[in-house]
Amino acid sequence: MRALVTGANGFLGRHVVSALLARGMDVRAMVRPATGLEAIGWPSSVEIFRADLRTSRELPRAFERVDVLIHLAAVVSGGEDAQFAGTVVGTERLLDAMASSTCRRLVLCSSFSVYDYSSTDRTLDEGSPLHRVPDVYSLSGYSIAKWWQERVTRRFVEKQGWDLTVLRPGFIWGRDHGYLAALGLQLGRHHLVIGPLTRIPMTHVENCADVFALAAVDPRARGQTLNVVDGPGERIWKYLSDYMSGSGEPGWRLPIPYWLASAAVRLAFVTVFRRATKVPAILTPRKFDAMLKPLRFENRRLRETLGWTPPLDYTQCLARTYGPVPPPAEAPVPWRSGTAAST
Amino acid sequence: MKAALIGAGQIARQHLACLKTLPGVELAAICDLSPATAEAAAERYGISAWFTDHRAMLEKARPDVVHVTTPPNSHFRLAMDALDAGAHVIVEKPATSTLEELETLARRAKEVGRHLVEDYNYLFNQAPQEILRHIESGQFGAVTHVEVLIGLDILGPGGFADPNSPHPALTLSGGAIADFLPHLASLAHLFVGPQRTAKTVWTKRKPSLLPFDEFHGVVNAERGTAALGFSASSQPDAFWLRVYGERMQATANLFETRLTFDGPRNVPKPLRPFFSGLEEGKAIRRAALATLLRKFKGPGAYEGLWELLARTYRALAEKSVLPVTVSDVLEVNRMVEALKPTEQRP
Repeated sequence: MRALVTGANGFLGRHVVSALLARGMDVRAMVRPATGLEAIGWPSSVEIFRADLRTSRELPRAFERVDVLIHLAAVVSGGEDAQFAGTVVGTERLLDAMASSTCRRLVLCSSFSVYDYSSTDRTLDEGSPLHRVPDVYSLSGYSIAKWWQERVTRRFVEKQGWDLTVLRPGFIWGRDHGYLAALGLQLGRHHLVIGPLTRIPMTHVENCADVFALAAVDPRARGQTLNVVDGPGERIWKYLSDYMSGSGEPGWRLPIPYWLASAAVRLAFVTVFRRATKVPAILTPRKFDAMLKPLRFENRRLRETLGWTPPLDYTQCLARTYGPVPPPAEAPVPWRSGTAAST
Repeated sequence: MKAALIGAGQIARQHLACLKTLPGVELAAICDLSPATAEAAAERYGISAWFTDHRAMLEKARPDVVHVTTPPNSHFRLAMDALDAGAHVIVEKPATSTLEELETLARRAKEVGRHLVEDYNYLFNQAPQEILRHIESGQFGAVTHVEVLIGLDILGPGGFADPNSPHPALTLSGGAIADFLPHLASLAHLFVGPQRTAKTVWTKRKPSLLPFDEFHGVVNAERGTAALGFSASSQPDAFWLRVYGERMQATANLFETRLTFDGPRNVPKPLRPFFSGLEEGKAIRRAALATLLRKFKGPGAYEGLWELLARTYRALAEKSVLPVTVSDVLEVNRMVEALKPTEQRP
């Protein structure tokens, strides 16, 4: 079975490639033309396909003999238009190419950012409301692009009759990606912790990659939309403490109750920034909620649908994030090929 | 008046946001090769129809004005089709890849009795307009010389020098800098008129995908001279405009709101620099605050585009002279042509 992985050299993509290899799959890794691959250390069995989703005319060739597409590519930096072009237009062009191939199965990496946190109370799960038009356009470029990417994908799937699995990871963390937007405001080395007891919807990159590999091979994943979090999540105060000691960046943590910060942001918004069109994200109630609203997060549907439990617990994840770099042979989560790592 | 737009990328956002605020203007249709891009813009700006084929759009929406905001190589074809469909055309700079294409467009506009406007947005920023007012009132004296220098880091991986996806501007003569020549030439044209002769130096200081990253030119124009430049290395980013008159001088940074004047004052000559310095400091402090505040609201450095569009639509409605005429566009582009490099590499 051959998988085409877009965004294969990204933070999540590298681990997804390893997880797929560990399950005995053939992998075609799509990377952009100028990407340097020396540092990644993939085995020679990984087939490299160089293309830029925004402009490449070679995309149909990427689907030759491919059984499943794992679409991770998204532009996460730059302006709103660059993110839309890279993420949404790139997806349109990719799926256009897929439509001319025999591949009929895809796993899309979506995001928690498609959920409307402001309209969600207590628990956020797969049934929670998504952003709607026109409110979606008041969000960050990343959120708009991920929301549109899922919309475009579902339209293609409906038209083409493909099998789709949408995975929506929470905050993905791991080595060199310990700092999360959920942590509040960073002021130099110090941190304003808004809602210190709030739990973070989080998944360690290796656990998350395990879900993608499982979804690619497990027929029970077909037609499903699944949130990917490792569990209820750590509290911000604790996670930040682990981040600061793990990364060796000492600083002060100043706790601020969520309700106080939320009231201040809302008051500022209706008074000072009411007519402002360009306001920092954290001062916009909708964006503030998306980063910091205290909700319960769970992975029940993921557990029940795929029988998944995270291969790594929080302590192991900490060791893999902040501990010594393991030698390359031990880098992937050590599953035996052909077995479900999570059962 | 019905407006339509082709190419819903980055600069289109400024056109659309402005058009939403103009009285008597209906945003009738938008077109982009990407259906999602077109539909997202239609949803965001409340546009009733979106298309992926511009000819279908021209036929169905019958717009009075078409904004062409695609990459430059496609402007000529799209603008021709829009003129043939009976619409006035507002085209982003650079209007065309070559002067011949522009002259063809201008001829066609004349034949069909429609206007052709190239976006010289910076002419309509507050600072150049304020300098113009000083000139028109006579207090500035005749302009002898103008300097325009853009320092902008365009060598980063995300924009013109994206190694994964060649930027469309790189196919223009002069590469990425050609994208900025209309700004330089239109400002020179505004203050010293059409060019007679020009001399240029095109160089490359740093390794990158760009054929050139430094340009300097001197223009001998009808009413004075101009020194124009672009530097991808000079930091911080700035857009300096300096106008020299027989009685006054003006300095502005068009990426900010900074504008200062220096001229005669009623103090003993030795004290003039002292009082000039104090006044200049005050103006710079005021501009610093204004630059900060405009980050929260409005078009920012694109204020001139909003002003240009507002004046253009007003003139179209009143059938009066447009703020940028076809002859302005031809004269500016003749200067641009004279500034282009003779070789494709340094």
